[in-house]
Amino acid sequence: MARRLRGFTLSDQAVGVLFMVPFVLTALFFMVYPIVEAVRMAFFSYNPLRPDLSAFVGLSNFSYIFDDQLFWTSFWQATVWTSFSIVFQTLFGVAIALLLHQALPGIAIFRGLLLFPYIVPTVVIALIWRWIFNPEIGIVNYALLAGGVISERIYWLSTPEMAMASTIMLNVWKYTPFVVICVLARLQSVPLELYDAAKVDGAGVVRRFIDVTLPQLREVLIVVVVFRTIWTFNKFEEIYLLTKGGPGTSTFNLAVYAFEQSIANLKLGVGAATGVIMMIMLSIGSVIYLRSAGFAREETHG
Amino acid sequence: MEVSLEAINKSFGSVRVLKDVSLHFPSRKFVTLLGPSGCGKTTLLRMIAGLETVDSGLIRFGDKVVNQLAPRDRNIAMVFQSYALYPQMSVRQNLAYGLRVRGTPKAARAEAVERVARILEIENLLERRPAQLSGGQRQRVALGRAMVRKPDIFLMDEPLSNLDARLRITMRAELRRFHLDLGATTVYVTHDQLEAMTMSDHVAVMNSGMVQQFGTPAEVYGRPANLFVAGFIGSPPMNLMPGRIEAENGVPVFANEQSRVPLRHLTQRLQVGQHVVLGARPQDLHLASSTDEASAHGRVWVVELVGSEKLVDIDLGGKRRIAVQVRADAHVREDDPVHVRIDPAQVHVFDASTERRVFEAA
Amino acid sequence: MMSWDFLWRHTGRAVIFVTLCGLTFVVCFPLVWALSTSLKPKTEIFATPPTLIPKAPTFENYAALVTGRQQYFQSGGQQVDTGATPAQFFTRWFLNSLVVTLGSTLISIVVSTLAAYSLTRFRYWGRTFVPYFSLLGYMVPSIIFVFPLFLMMVRLELTDTLLSLVLGYVSITLPFCMWLMWAFMRSIPIEIEEAALVDGATRMQVFRDVVLPTALPGIIAAAIFAMIVSWNDYLFGRVFLNSLDNLTLTVGVMLFFEGTHVDWGLLMAACVLMTVPMAFLFMGLQRHLVAGFGAGAVKG
Repeated sequence: MARRLRGFTLSDQAVGVLFMVPFVLTALFFMVYPIVEAVRMAFFSYNPLRPDLSAFVGLSNFSYIFDDQLFWTSFWQATVWTSFSIVFQTLFGVAIALLLHQALPGIAIFRGLLLFPYIVPTVVIALIWRWIFNPEIGIVNYALLAGGVISERIYWLSTPEMAMASTIMLNVWKYTPFVVICVLARLQSVPLELYDAAKVDGAGVVRRFIDVTLPQLREVLIVVVVFRTIWTFNKFEEIYLLTKGGPGTSTFNLAVYAFEQSIANLKLGVGAATGVIMMIMLSIGSVIYLRSAGFAREETHG
Repeated sequence: MEVSLEAINKSFGSVRVLKDVSLHFPSRKFVTLLGPSGCGKTTLLRMIAGLETVDSGLIRFGDKVVNQLAPRDRNIAMVFQSYALYPQMSVRQNLAYGLRVRGTPKAARAEAVERVARILEIENLLERRPAQLSGGQRQRVALGRAMVRKPDIFLMDEPLSNLDARLRITMRAELRRFHLDLGATTVYVTHDQLEAMTMSDHVAVMNSGMVQQFGTPAEVYGRPANLFVAGFIGSPPMNLMPGRIEAENGVPVFANEQSRVPLRHLTQRLQVGQHVVLGARPQDLHLASSTDEASAHGRVWVVELVGSEKLVDIDLGGKRRIAVQVRADAHVREDDPVHVRIDPAQVHVFDASTERRVFEAA
Repeated sequence: MMSWDFLWRHTGRAVIFVTLCGLTFVVCFPLVWALSTSLKPKTEIFATPPTLIPKAPTFENYAALVTGRQQYFQSGGQQVDTGATPAQFFTRWFLNSLVVTLGSTLISIVVSTLAAYSLTRFRYWGRTFVPYFSLLGYMVPSIIFVFPLFLMMVRLELTDTLLSLVLGYVSITLPFCMWLMWAFMRSIPIEIEEAALVDGATRMQVFRDVVLPTALPGIIAAAIFAMIVSWNDYLFGRVFLNSLDNLTLTVGVMLFFEGTHVDWGLLMAACVLMTVPMAFLFMGLQRHLVAGFGAGAVKG
């Protein structure tokens, strides 16, 4: 790293500074300021309709949250939602990546089709979900009834358990491709000699997977799981667009809770305080990530 | 154009990569900076190019101090180890780029490119992209890009290291010929002593940020100035044996447990009891038939056939080995007991503590 | 002896192929079903048994969206004018989404490309800190950004404008673009630029002639990413915008659910049209995706 940098110390440092100016300004306005402001708002009462009544309230937004049963419910539901989503995404993701890593005719087409859900707008997925999981006219219930799997209609989106299951399905469907992409990229960089060496040593298919593939995937899996956990826990649209947090509050997570506090209850301070709590948890996750990915080791050489 | 470096110093962080380096490259000569990786040779080259700042010291082209000049104002050309061809430009555009940014008219540009392409025999490659070229072809394009502007000074950073062995040998001769034809000062960086010996007018052997020796290839090979140069130059490498000086009839004798070599020609230079290292190239050693004329005795450890020669590794006992080069038809077999004759006139003596050569009286 | 290797060679590939086919069907089914619904006339949508391939395919849903024709619903034998319907605004919303997406992508890309070049080629305090700071920014959920940004827009009197969204999306696209461009720029060998400097180019010529063309694949990947994020966002649009004329597609299409009657055919057609631009981007991205993420979000 250092060697590559040396050459430019001589020439126009001004360019280096000049090129950073737009980023610094943009980052200050659109990244740093909103986060600082979000933290500040957490200590104020703020009604967007009466901004003149805004006042410093200390920690009372936090005590409001901690006294609110709905916050704890949301927290618990987010944990359930995240855990199931991550487990299924990781399992499916690794399995699909292994399948796609084979040299088969038409593999590029399979790859394209299996990765496609990742870029479908969440709004679209949510609407399609509402259509195919519609209890009366949806194709899923029809197929299950016709196939004799179930004898009564399932109310996918209007019973608490099934609504949770539906949002998990949506999340798994949309984000498994992310795991696939990461694992596939890693698989492609595993040196083939390793497999040849294992074959020469007499390892069969199963042993080769356990002894060669899995250890190579360990690092990327840690990273993917940490990243996806952080993101999934804080997801808003995937839940809100499908169930609006309902039925009742049975699919609320912290993001939906913060949104509802801010928009429906007009308590922006409470919403912001929820955001601060989310950020604290996120920082913990990030530290785990940075530790596990070993970023600290990099670029210490002058 | 002559190039002078005066007391150049450079540190990266706490690491001193160049320590008071002073060198003078005569005009129109082919000068090689030779040394192991990390010795500072590439840094020095990049300073001449203006890609690297100098902590202290002066760089002169002729009489002009160029320390503060940008690369573009130095009228130099450089061939990079990775060739550094512009990947999105065709060969023609690659060659013409230096002229284009200097505002050379289109017609003159085309003419210059054609001329260089003709010399390098790459006329049929002009429309290709670098990715479509072989290693040797890329090499030529990189050379062509450097030649097209008629620079005062040519800088080459290990340009042959990415080529296969055969091509490297042909390109060595070609580079030398190009240098003679173009008549610019050439500064060439390599860690391959064979390249340095075959191509250069002068070699600067470098190690750990210092110039160990500066001279013609013959000087560097024939009279290495210190232990480092002795060990670095020459293939197979020089045998180096530590020992002490003893006196025998008023003549200093190199002695250790395995060998004794009288050093009559160094009588004035050596003291009894002095710790020294004796160096002898495998080519300068001989297998002796009788015990009398031999200076060392041992048992053949391994014999390697190297084309027209055999390299005989001899175990002298006490974990000491010595290599001797003999003709391929010589009869030597592994595990044979042998005697080695060391010609006192052909040895190099180095002081063990200073590691410097003990020079013969002038 | 019958080993796993033996089994693998003889049946493994066939099993994998069949599994992949099944998997692909399951994964693609929701999208296929949406496409199928969008091509059916109203009567066939609710037909039993349902048909995967429409018996009487029609483009009337698409025509309604593109031309913004008034929709009438049969209700007790008489035609009822439902008033302004989302379909009327569809093309407008589509254009809004396009403008916002392109605008914010342009800003993010220009800013991050310049910064990435500076960060990887010059030495100054904090140059290693910036990309990791960006990565942290990428992890902050948009629900945290949205209200402070909204209040900022209120102060700037930009609420309910497309410009507010253009600026707002910068905060969710810039962090990742920055990270990706940084990782990409770092991988470009500096020797090429040095060669250009020696050739006599000025710093800006080096940037224009050598750096930008070499960085193009990274720029494309980052741009596609930014476009997908901006195009797909719902939250910012929902909070920043009010008037029907100014909505983006995601926010607007959710309005199809307002009222008592849902026209599924029309809705699915809207979904398909919303996804098509992403599908095109996706094809462009496919080439870069695996490599891009390899270098970017996930190291080694």
